[in-house]
Amino acid sequence: MGKEQLKDRLKNARKKLKVEKENPQTSNIGQAFKLSTELVAAVLVGTIIGFILDNWFDTKPWLIIIFFFVGVVAGILNVIRSAKKLQN
Amino acid sequence: MAANPMYQFNVYRIGPEIKIGEIDLSFTNASLFMVISSLAILIIFNLGAQKKNIIPDKIQLLSELSYTFVSKMISDTAGSKAKPYFSFIFSLFMFVLFCNMFGMIPYSFTVTSHIIVTFVLAAFIFIGVTIIGFIKHGFGYLKLFVPSGVPAVLLPLIVVIEIISYLSRPISLSVRLFANMMAGHTMMKVFGGFVVSLGIVGGWLPLSFSVALTGLEILVAFLQAYVFAILTCIYLNDALNLHH
Repeated sequence: MGKEQLKDRLKNARKKLKVEKENPQTSNIGQAFKLSTELVAAVLVGTIIGFILDNWFDTKPWLIIIFFFVGVVAGILNVIRSAKKLQN
Repeated sequence: MAANPMYQFNVYRIGPEIKIGEIDLSFTNASLFMVISSLAILIIFNLGAQKKNIIPDKIQLLSELSYTFVSKMISDTAGSKAKPYFSFIFSLFMFVLFCNMFGMIPYSFTVTSHIIVTFVLAAFIFIGVTIIGFIKHGFGYLKLFVPSGVPAVLLPLIVVIEIISYLSRPISLSVRLFANMMAGHTMMKVFGGFVVSLGIVGGWLPLSFSVALTGLEILVAFLQAYVFAILTCIYLNDALNLHH
């Protein structure tokens, strides 16, 4: 392989690398998959914390209701954060 | 029995029963497939790292490609400070990927379709990242729960919300992988059952669906391993570079 040929191939490879960097498709699909469970998980955690605290303090059903809604807020916050990361 | 779409997720014992105290430590089909995937990773990457040719053969190319892929992923999401954790994230990514891919072979068992497996992985990541955060920043790591510029009246509520949001990380990490793998495999089994029950006359439509689903499932298997690894990087980034 001549020197010129090698230079050409290097140039092409660099160009390819640049194009790949500009549209990273796989990572976009990956991030989209991420959003769905984010909301559910926080609601679940909030409800579980409420349930445990309720058993602890004998205040059924108040804390589970309160922590359910706090969990919903945390879930929405999670989704907004991931969406912001998506935009960057 | 075998027509039940959930039958593929059964865990059964292989070989003798091993019991230590109350804990059942018998070797199951799940453990068998974990051993198979770990051995496959070890063999492939040992073979790939042995010869260092300038023009690589297939196996060397494979291992070099995956090395660059993971190292690029880490430097893109967590920055240069996360370089020491490369080996951890690399093995995590490879383990999840190989477990998912081995699950795509007919009659095999998908380890990652069980919540306990994915949850243990996620819990280790969660505890590890929290410990790293406390080692790097001391009690300053707790600032993660107190965003700046919040009025003092709202602070107790915000801190509770932030703590719930932090605690939901291992749940969302594990549920995502488990739900995707289990839903996909169940769907494939259901369509496979349709092929059998509709017979040679009407079975072609679900068969074509099955073929398409197999392709989709291979994509999902790779993607979920990628998401699992990249979220680990993001959590690591939060612990190493403390800012919101």
